[in-house]
Amino acid sequence: MSFFPRGIGMRLADFIGGVVFLILGLAVIYFSSQLEYYSEFGPGPGFLPLWVGVVLIGCAIFVIINVLKKHDKMGTFFKPRTKLGLHVLIIIFIAFLLLPFLGFSIGLALFVGITMRIMGRHRWVSCSLTAVVTAICIHLIFVSWLTIPLPQGLIGW
Amino acid sequence: MDLLNNLYTGFSIALTFNNIIYCLVGVFFGQIIGVLPGIGAPTAIALLLPLTFKADPTSALIMFAGIYYGVAYGGTITSVLINVPGESSTVMTCLDGYQMALKGRAGAALSIAAIGSFIAGTVSIIILMAFAPVLAKLALRFGPAEYFALAVMAFGLLTVFGGEQPIKTIISTMLGLLIATIGLDVVSGMPRFAFGVPQLLGGFDFIIIICGMFGIAEVFCSIEEPEEGELLKSKFRLRDLFLTWEDWIASRWAIVRGGVIGFIVGIIPAGGITTASFLAYLGEKRVSKHPERFGHGAIEGVAAPEAANNAASISGFAPLLALGIPGSPTTAVMLAGFMMWGIRPGPMLFQKNPDLVCGLISSMYIGNFLLLLINIFLIPAFVAILRLPYTIIMGFIVIFASVGAYSVNNNFFDVWIMLGFAVLGYLMRKLNYPIVPLVLALVLGNLAENSLRQALTISGGSFSIFFTRPISAIFIAAAILAYLTPVIRWGLKGLRPSRADVS
Repeated sequence: MSFFPRGIGMRLADFIGGVVFLILGLAVIYFSSQLEYYSEFGPGPGFLPLWVGVVLIGCAIFVIINVLKKHDKMGTFFKPRTKLGLHVLIIIFIAFLLLPFLGFSIGLALFVGITMRIMGRHRWVSCSLTAVVTAICIHLIFVSWLTIPLPQGLIGW
Repeated sequence: MDLLNNLYTGFSIALTFNNIIYCLVGVFFGQIIGVLPGIGAPTAIALLLPLTFKADPTSALIMFAGIYYGVAYGGTITSVLINVPGESSTVMTCLDGYQMALKGRAGAALSIAAIGSFIAGTVSIIILMAFAPVLAKLALRFGPAEYFALAVMAFGLLTVFGGEQPIKTIISTMLGLLIATIGLDVVSGMPRFAFGVPQLLGGFDFIIIICGMFGIAEVFCSIEEPEEGELLKSKFRLRDLFLTWEDWIASRWAIVRGGVIGFIVGIIPAGGITTASFLAYLGEKRVSKHPERFGHGAIEGVAAPEAANNAASISGFAPLLALGIPGSPTTAVMLAGFMMWGIRPGPMLFQKNPDLVCGLISSMYIGNFLLLLINIFLIPAFVAILRLPYTIIMGFIVIFASVGAYSVNNNFFDVWIMLGFAVLGYLMRKLNYPIVPLVLALVLGNLAENSLRQALTISGGSFSIFFTRPISAIFIAAAILAYLTPVIRWGLKGLRPSRADVS
C-alpha cells in the first residue's frame, strides 16, 4: 500500500494553493486595516500591505477559477520519492531539535551519517567515518577558523 | 580616458595577491557548483555570505562574482557529458553539446563553450566598465518616483520572464512584498505583522530566507526528482579540446551574436542568464543557413548560448552597481551582501567606493582568464566530481544553511525560520509558483515602499508624480506593457488559427 494518497492530483493541490492564498489575502487585509492607511505626511504603514492583500485575493480567485475550469488531474502531487524527501525533512527536524544539546558539530555530523545510511544505503562503517570527519571539519572550519560562536552542546564540542 | 583610469585603478586592486586568491577560490567554487546538481549560484553565495562578514568587502565580492560567472562555465560540463544541465542557464547547451559528445566531440564542445564564454565575457566587462558609470550618472537624477517606477518595472518584467503562469508570478511577487513588510515600519516605527513576537520586530533576514528557499528546498526537490544522466565514458586528451578551422568559422559570429544578446538581456531587470542563452540559441538557429543541423550537434548551437549566458552574468552587474537594483536572484543575494557590509549600491557607489567598483569589475578579466585555463586543463578533475554521491552534497548544503542561518543573529529561532521557508519554497516549486519573483520582491520591497511613500508625500498624495516625470513615466509605461504581455499573448493566440485547423 502506498504511503501517500496517490489520488491527490495537481489540480486539487493547485486548488488548495489558491484557497490558501485567498485566506492569506483576507488575513492581510484584516491586519493591515488595523494599521494607519494614510497619515498627515503621506501613506501610512497599512497602505502597501492592504493593496498587497487586495492583489493577492484577486490573483488567488483567478487561480481557483482556472483550476475549476480544468477537468484533467494535471499529474499527481506526490511522487514515488516524496516519501524519501519527507524522511530527510524529519531527520533535519530531529537534528535541529537536538542541536542545542549536541552542539552544531556533532548534531550536523550525525545528520550527515544517518542520511547517508538511509538515502545512500552506504555501509555503517563509511557512514560513521564520514560523520566523524564531518564533525571535525565543522569544528575546525566554523569554530576554530571562522570563529563563529556555534553552540557547543552538553559535550562541549 | 576615464575608462583607462578605471582600468588602472581596478587592476591595481584586483591584482593584489589576496584578491587573486579570492578570485581563484570564487571561480573554482563556481565551476564546482555549476557541475553539482541541486545547488546554484544564489544558494552558494547565500550559504557563504554569513561566513564572510569579517572579510574585506571588495575581496568577498570578487569571490562571489567569481562564483556567479564560474557557475555558467561549470554547468556546461554536465550539459555536454550527461545531457543534464548543471544550471538552468546551460539548458540550451544540452541540445547540441550532448549530440556533439555522442559523436565523440565532447572536447570540442567544452572547448568552444569555454572560449566563447571567455571572449563574450571579456568584451562584456569592457562595455560594463564604460557603461556602468554612465548609467550611474543618469541614476543621480532619480528621485523616489523614479525608484518606485523602476521597482514596479522590475516586478512587471518578472511576469514576462518569470514563469509559465504570470498570475502565479504575481502571487509570488506579492508574497515577497508581504514578507518585506514584516517588522518595524521604518517611517512610523509601528510593528507590522509581528504579532507580539519580539524576534519578528526586526523582520526576516534575507539570508535566512535564501538559505531555506534556495538551499534546503532545493534538497527536497532534488531528492524527489533527481537529475540523473549517464556519464559518457570518454577519456579527455588535450588534443581533443583543439578546435578545427571549420569549427572556428562556424562559431565566430555565433559568439558575437550570443554575446550581444546576452549583454542586452542581462541588463534588463529580471532578464536573467537563462533567458539570454535561450534567446541566443533561438536567434542563432533563425539566422543560420543550416537550421536543420541544430539539435544534431551544431557547434554554433553551443557557442551562442554559452557566450550569451556569460555576457549576461557580467552585464547583470550594471543595474546592481549603478542603480542598486538586482536583476537576478544571484545579484539580489549579492545586494544583501552589500547591505551586510553597510555599503549601499547605486549611483553614489561610484563616487564613494570607486575602488570597490573598479576592483570588482577588473577582477572579472582575471576570473574569466582563470576559468579559461581551468576549463582547458582541469576538465577531467571536474568530471570526477560528477561521481560524488548526492547524500554528501546534501549534507554540505544542510550544514552551510544551518550554520549560515544561525550565525546571522546567533539564535536557533532563525534556524527554524529557515526550515519553515524551505518547506514553503518546496511547496511553491511543486505548485509552479516561481521563487525568483519572491526573492526579488523581498529585496526590493523596502526600497519600493519607501520610495512610494516619499513620492506621494512630495506630491501631496497625487499619483500624477509617477506619470509627469519623464523617466518615471517611461518605467511605468514599460511596467504596464509588461503586465499586459500575457493578455496580449492570450489575445494573439485566440486570433491565430490552431495547428489542427491549419492541417
